[in-house]
Amino acid sequence: MVKVSVKWSGKKFDDLDLDVNESPELFKNQIYSVTGVPPERQKIMIKGGTMKDDTDLSKLTVKEGHTFMMMGTAGELPKPPPEPVVFLEDMSDKQLAQALDIPAGLENLGNTCYMNATLQSLRVMPELHTALNRYQGGITGMDTRGNLTASLRDLYKQLNNTSEGFPPLIFWQMLRQAFPQFSQSGAGGMPMQQDAEECWGELISVLRAKLPSDEASNQSFVDQYMTGQITSELKCLEAPEEQSVIDTETFSKLDCHISISTNFMQNGILDSLKQDIEKHSTTLDRTAQYQKISKVSRLPKYLVVHFIRFFWKPSERVRAKILRKVKFPLDWDATELCTEELQNKYSKVKAKLREVEDSKLEQERETKKRKMKNEIEGEGEGDSAHKDGPEETASTPKESTSSAMDTDPKKDSVDWSQYVDESLANDAGANVTGQYELCSVLTHVGRSADSGHYISWVKKGANEWLKYDDDKVSIVKDEDIQRLDGGGDWPMAYIVLYRAKQLD
Amino acid sequence: MAKEEVKEKTPSQNPESSEKDQTTTNKNAKNKNDKKDNQEDELVSFPNVKITSEEDQQLKSELEMLVERLKENNVELHRPALDSLCTLIRTSTSSMTSVPKPLKFLRPHYRELEDVHASWSESANKHFLADILSVLAMTYSDEGKNESLKYRLIGTNEEAGLWGHEYVRHLSTEIGQVFAQRVENEEPTDDLMKLALEIVPFFLKHNAEADAVDLLLELEAIHQLPQFIDKETYARVCLYMVSCVPLLVAPDDSAFLKTAHTIYRKLDKFPEAITLAIKMGDRELIEEDFESCQDPLVKKQLAFLLARQQIYLEVEDSDLAECLNNTHLSEHFISLARELDVLEPKTPEDIYKSHLENIRTGYSSGSVDSARQNLASTFVNAFVNGGFGKDKLMTTEEDSNSNASWIYKNKDHGMLSATASLGLIHLWDVENGLTAVDKYLYSGEDNIKAGALLAIGMLNSGVRGDGDYAYALLKDYVEEGNVTCRVTSIFGIGLANAGSAREDLAELLLPIVSDSTLSMELSAVAALALGLIFVGSYENDVPSTIIQTMMERDDVHLNDPWSRYLSLGLALLYLGKQDAVDATIETVKTIEHHIGKQTEVLLEVLAYAGTGNVLKVQSMLHHCNDHINKEKEDDLHQAYAVLGVALIAMGDDIGTEMSLRTFNHLMHYGEPVIRRAVPLALGLLCTSNPLLSVLDTLSKYSHDNDSDVAISAIFAMGLVGAGTNNARLAQMLRQLASYYHKEPNSLFLVRIAQGLLHMGKGTMTINPYHTDRQLMSPAAVAGLLTSILAFTDSKTFILGKNHWLLYSIATAMYPRFLITLDEDLKPVPATVRVGQAVDVVGQAGRPKTITGFQTHSTPVLLAHSERAELATEKYISLAHVLEGFVLLKRNPDYMEEDE
Repeated sequence: MVKVSVKWSGKKFDDLDLDVNESPELFKNQIYSVTGVPPERQKIMIKGGTMKDDTDLSKLTVKEGHTFMMMGTAGELPKPPPEPVVFLEDMSDKQLAQALDIPAGLENLGNTCYMNATLQSLRVMPELHTALNRYQGGITGMDTRGNLTASLRDLYKQLNNTSEGFPPLIFWQMLRQAFPQFSQSGAGGMPMQQDAEECWGELISVLRAKLPSDEASNQSFVDQYMTGQITSELKCLEAPEEQSVIDTETFSKLDCHISISTNFMQNGILDSLKQDIEKHSTTLDRTAQYQKISKVSRLPKYLVVHFIRFFWKPSERVRAKILRKVKFPLDWDATELCTEELQNKYSKVKAKLREVEDSKLEQERETKKRKMKNEIEGEGEGDSAHKDGPEETASTPKESTSSAMDTDPKKDSVDWSQYVDESLANDAGANVTGQYELCSVLTHVGRSADSGHYISWVKKGANEWLKYDDDKVSIVKDEDIQRLDGGGDWPMAYIVLYRAKQLD
Repeated sequence: MAKEEVKEKTPSQNPESSEKDQTTTNKNAKNKNDKKDNQEDELVSFPNVKITSEEDQQLKSELEMLVERLKENNVELHRPALDSLCTLIRTSTSSMTSVPKPLKFLRPHYRELEDVHASWSESANKHFLADILSVLAMTYSDEGKNESLKYRLIGTNEEAGLWGHEYVRHLSTEIGQVFAQRVENEEPTDDLMKLALEIVPFFLKHNAEADAVDLLLELEAIHQLPQFIDKETYARVCLYMVSCVPLLVAPDDSAFLKTAHTIYRKLDKFPEAITLAIKMGDRELIEEDFESCQDPLVKKQLAFLLARQQIYLEVEDSDLAECLNNTHLSEHFISLARELDVLEPKTPEDIYKSHLENIRTGYSSGSVDSARQNLASTFVNAFVNGGFGKDKLMTTEEDSNSNASWIYKNKDHGMLSATASLGLIHLWDVENGLTAVDKYLYSGEDNIKAGALLAIGMLNSGVRGDGDYAYALLKDYVEEGNVTCRVTSIFGIGLANAGSAREDLAELLLPIVSDSTLSMELSAVAALALGLIFVGSYENDVPSTIIQTMMERDDVHLNDPWSRYLSLGLALLYLGKQDAVDATIETVKTIEHHIGKQTEVLLEVLAYAGTGNVLKVQSMLHHCNDHINKEKEDDLHQAYAVLGVALIAMGDDIGTEMSLRTFNHLMHYGEPVIRRAVPLALGLLCTSNPLLSVLDTLSKYSHDNDSDVAISAIFAMGLVGAGTNNARLAQMLRQLASYYHKEPNSLFLVRIAQGLLHMGKGTMTINPYHTDRQLMSPAAVAGLLTSILAFTDSKTFILGKNHWLLYSIATAMYPRFLITLDEDLKPVPATVRVGQAVDVVGQAGRPKTITGFQTHSTPVLLAHSERAELATEKYISLAHVLEGFVLLKRNPDYMEEDE
């Protein structure tokens, strides 16, 4: 019988009895009692190996005070996770695209960034996808515009199923067939840079013509969701008594004129809605000054604003660019553009919206205040109270806030139908509140329309945007979008797309 | 070597010249101040024979008078004349550049005096005259006649030093020349030797140790040196001798080392002596040095030196054993980390700093696990937190199962490396490490189990516990069971016992090497493990068994990529053994399969590793010359040859520079296989030494069109920066990560390089050279080569299933610290100056050994080519080189300065 020590896991256990005439089992059980390592997991180092159950201890010549080294695990063993981890490498392209939640970009086929940017900006509208999916045509027919629509449908489908950059070859071919102006080549056979606005306009016109109309409203996608209405009043300035001419027309985009005094998008739009015209007056029987004031009488769900940044400079024979900084809001109240009639329709829901907003702010402020107060109290208590003290006090405000949160949804779940004007509610595809949020920006960088580079920026979620620079897709933030307002050689907004705010 | 011939060329004898001298003198006397005339004089007269003053004139006539006297037959007058001649010559002061005046004036009479000497009969005067002639011959004798020596030998045997330093140097030159002639003609040289042994003490006394050593080298009598050395001269003599070694040819180099060793031993400089013994690789000498050291403290210091080189001796004293076994390495390393405030574990993301990378893609968003990137993170985590025993992926929580989850975030073979990474995290910490690994030994997943086995081996690398834990635990898994487990446990044993040369391990592993029914993987890894264990020692059954296996295995087996480790295993046995490898090379040449050629090159490379042998470098370059058609013939040996250039030149500054140039050429004109190996060779050459030029070169290669070149270059960048935290390299790697963000393979390597760069959070080195870059650690070289060889077929090994070979770097990992310990082996802070090392060989006086230094308090980190010295005289260092563990003794004479 000798006294030995055992070292395990950086700890040393002294005063263990080792009876050299007994089997090692006894010794191992003794170790189990002090370390908690089950005997079968104990690996005790002896010369030339580990101590087995049949090791003859008497042959080990263990001296008094000898220290054994032991290896072993007390307690539970690590278990594999209940569900195996799925790896990127094992996924198909489609799974990958879904998992990463980053849509695919489009490859540049040679100066086709204008087209790529346009396609990505338009892709943000889910209703367009539905409408496209209802389109039955193929791409083999003689109808070039039909083929274009079909190829757009196929392209969007393919894009949804990949995470890699995708070459929009077929679409490009169809686009050039339908609109030969896009097949111009520059020096060296390289396709020429084109104006994205032109591409946008042509594409919308094709879609307007080709997409099947919705069964419910009997209107096509473009008419329903992207087309607004303007009521204009033509007044003769020199003959106030002359009857003004009221006219209504539709629009699929609002222009934003950029003059020397334009600093905000809304001013630019208002400018372009006001026109001075010289025309023959019947009452005066001569050419007179007229003013045409247009007001919006229908706001569509998707509102396109076109910044008129390019103008023809005859002296240099080039389409020059206005670099002026024009701010555009991320959230936009467009009611100022509307006719009085429409404004009245919006007034009720607008007031309610403001009320909800205010109460939300109030609540936030309240909780913040309470939190700060609690923190101060908590610190004060923390020193004197026992260990659990601060935790308890911390839990109380949590409860109170959560109870406040509980009541919130009840307050929040406003029955909007009460406030929304009925005629607007019935008009599917119209904006019912007059409130918009920015959902995509198409930017141009460079000094003229025929050069430079187009990039599309599309909203992904709260404070998250996707930047589609051809096949390079990356995530950016709100502040990056706000920097796109121009004023230098940075990408600047050219066509922006607003989406009607959803009522929660 | 450092000898220059300082012999003034004298104009050929001209009968008219003396007259001319006369006239010029007269002229000069007249127009003393006329410079113009003076210049003209110089044009017509010989510059050396110009007489400028009346004093000179007087001296000249006096000398002439003395010579006349000697010519006369009056023997009485001879003695006083000789005496005055002697005095005149000895007292003449001279500068280094001109001949002393008496010698100058005696020139015309040299032949006359010779005749006089010949005419005299044997007498004391004759010897005396011979002495004077010997001195005169230094300037007047014709080249190659060695008359100085001739007259010296028949002279009085008076001390040569009395005639001045210049004369002695001249004499020693002539001794060398005559000695060579006589040896050629097989004539006796005893008289020369006797003279030389008289001269040597003079040299040593007068700061000319280089001349002393050179003279003895020429006389092949370097062993005579120690008797003349005392404590004043030993340091400079030995420094000169040791730095000559790389320039000498065998057997002089080893003779030099032996002599220097004897000198150190004679003066009881044990640390220096044992360093040389280690350098010679002479185990008996090491043991003898160690045993004969009586001072227990110095002995501990010796133990630390031996431990750094992983040389194990059996000792009784437990304290000493702990020093020898590196038992407290982990403890001291962690205390260093605490001191430097780097204890907090780092996550791979802390290293990647991907927010600084330009491109942000979904891959880094973390929403999906990429097996490859997770594997990279596993390695990064292991390297960065290596040795700290704590990390944020593997060892987070003690009890919960969450720590296992990271392992499961790796796929299949990735789990192996993930589990094994525990070994690196707990490197050197046997007690805690074993417990941390144990729980994975029960896993049902073979990869996890295999990883745990590898971890056991790894964490024992470089340290030894009371018993051999790795062997005890792994032995059972070696012989049976799952192949993966067998492979990793064999490799684990190799890592744990690298450099130990334990015979019982050979018995365990040799059957696995020779059993041709086993898979090539098993046999090759067993051979590799044997190579690691017996690195640099071939006197056993191992070489023959491996060669046997190469001969017996079928070609199918030998074509397996694993076969390269069979070659490496064999070659490692001959590491640094130089010509001892010749017989084996001849044997290997008989193997018909191309593995023979590969092994041959590897053997040659490793045998001459670190020698700087230019002939071998040339023979390696010769291999690279061939343009082999890969379809028809194997070209792997060319890759080895490229690595060989680096390995041979390694550790020698000039050699390193030359090979950098060579690699540039190879990169331009070489075949793909050569181009792929060049970055690896660069990495090997400059491990943990981030030279800007090398970084730039590698950065260029890392964008190469050939993706294999790029992968090699990226890994090499990791090697070059390993453990340095070099900011510039970190920036380069981040750029590479953006550049390769869509190429998983390259990105994987970029991550690994980032991990290597921040190895041990910047506290480690993997450079095999240590102790002031004098010693090469064989285990470190073996480990480095194992991982580098894996990159000669990266698809199979690193990018395939066998990335765990990267863990072989563990044997090369060592903290680059300086820790000062007191008599009780407790850390004690001391003020030290750390700066760039300066080469002071052969410099006069007491030159500074470091430059651009900063003052720190220990523990401190030392970068490559940095040196430390104690800043105050409070302590006396027991080690001759301040590196690693250094024992300090209080200086009894030290007075605390008033504050």
